[in-house]
Amino acid sequence: MSYTLQFGQVTGYLPYLAGGAWISLQIAFLAFCGGMVIGLFGAMAKTFGNRPLNRVVSGYVTFFMNTPQLVQIYFIYFALPDAGILLTSYEAVLIGMTLNAGAYLTEIQRAGFESVHRNEMEAAETLGMSLMQRVRYVVLPHIARVLFPPLSNQYILMTLGTSMAAIFGVEELTGRAFNVNAETFRSIEVFSLTAGLYIIVTLIATLILGLFGRYMFRAKMRLY
Amino acid sequence: MPQLEILDLKAAYNRQPVLENITLSVEKGEIVSLIGPSGSGKSTLLRVLIGLLPPIAGQVHLDGERIDYGDKRTLRALRDRLAIVFQQYNLFQNMTALQNVTIAPTKVKKRPAREVEEEAKTLLSKVGLADKFDAYPDELSGGQQQRVAIARALALKPEILLLDEVTSALDPELVNEVLDAIRLLAAEGMTMFIVSHEMGFVRELSSKVAFMADGHIVEFGPPARIFDRPEMARTRDFVSKILRH
Repeated sequence: MSYTLQFGQVTGYLPYLAGGAWISLQIAFLAFCGGMVIGLFGAMAKTFGNRPLNRVVSGYVTFFMNTPQLVQIYFIYFALPDAGILLTSYEAVLIGMTLNAGAYLTEIQRAGFESVHRNEMEAAETLGMSLMQRVRYVVLPHIARVLFPPLSNQYILMTLGTSMAAIFGVEELTGRAFNVNAETFRSIEVFSLTAGLYIIVTLIATLILGLFGRYMFRAKMRLY
Repeated sequence: MPQLEILDLKAAYNRQPVLENITLSVEKGEIVSLIGPSGSGKSTLLRVLIGLLPPIAGQVHLDGERIDYGDKRTLRALRDRLAIVFQQYNLFQNMTALQNVTIAPTKVKKRPAREVEEEAKTLLSKVGLADKFDAYPDELSGGQQQRVAIARALALKPEILLLDEVTSALDPELVNEVLDAIRLLAAEGMTMFIVSHEMGFVRELSSKVAFMADGHIVEFGPPARIFDRPEMARTRDFVSKILRH
């Protein structure tokens, strides 16, 4: 290979790129949290809801799980302004990723709802707990324990998925990598550095999630 | 006036009738046992009473007041007064024994945590689990779990306790510790519906026994009559088979 690696030209951009990684993390975290909330209500609707509600949620999930996320964000980016809602590209990406995550997390959490022993739910019901109380005290602790690994995976996937934001001009890690590449033309160096930062970000997240999960498992999810 | 009166009750699973023409009444402090072959509707009757399976016809009166099983508020009020213990214990796996007992009084009844906790400890001690407050269900034996379940049911101070084959899932040597807990309650005058295959226990404790088959009550009367002088051929057949071993 005749190419000579010259990292010296790009290392100066490291803080700039790290700042981009921080934005990536923000988008992933916010979209994941939003998606978890949507997913919780979606899963509740699918498990306990009546038929029309079930249909609506299924339609939402089917749409978002069977179209590319990029297309979804494009749609939001271009369609919502027509409806009078002006969005920055950051907002459009965040909304798109949240809705997309909501669909996946609906399915993941629904599986959790279904794996709660019907027995425990019945016992809770006969003790006079309302549906919300049953979810809060019986389903969620169970879901947290059983679904922790798949939820962590989803979170990592979403962190990597934020690179899509670059297409819309959001200056997250990949977006900033584009900028540095345009200035330096040291593509291999720029993108290997970028990949390295993604690895660091996801490894740290995996580590934190893993420790958290292990603590929770050992503690068997304290209730209060 | 009977404490609980069931009139011509009917229930179905997916349009398949599972209970028909159920009529019986219980006075305060009485213990009614439901016996009969599996699939005869004994457990279903308890599930209907606690509102897990809405009846499709008939009436249930509690202290003379008709229970509307279609109304959520009535159901919640009902579950203050009736409690059920299940065959499989159905404890909350993510909570300790103590939390299992305190959760309903604190979260449903919104009572002060400390007061509830004291009561819960008393209840658990009463069923012989004074040293297991902080144990999780999977750290307890079946008999211990079932006793936690009984304490949990009692924590809401029910007027009537429904016991659904509470010893059927237990190893034989653990049966007695649970039966003893029930005997204690009987001595305190708790009204109870007991579904059980422990015939000696049923006979010893019951005020009345209902023999059920195919969703009907075939015969209803004091235990001495049901076990020694059954009038119906089906009862006689069942009793003779049960008592033979």
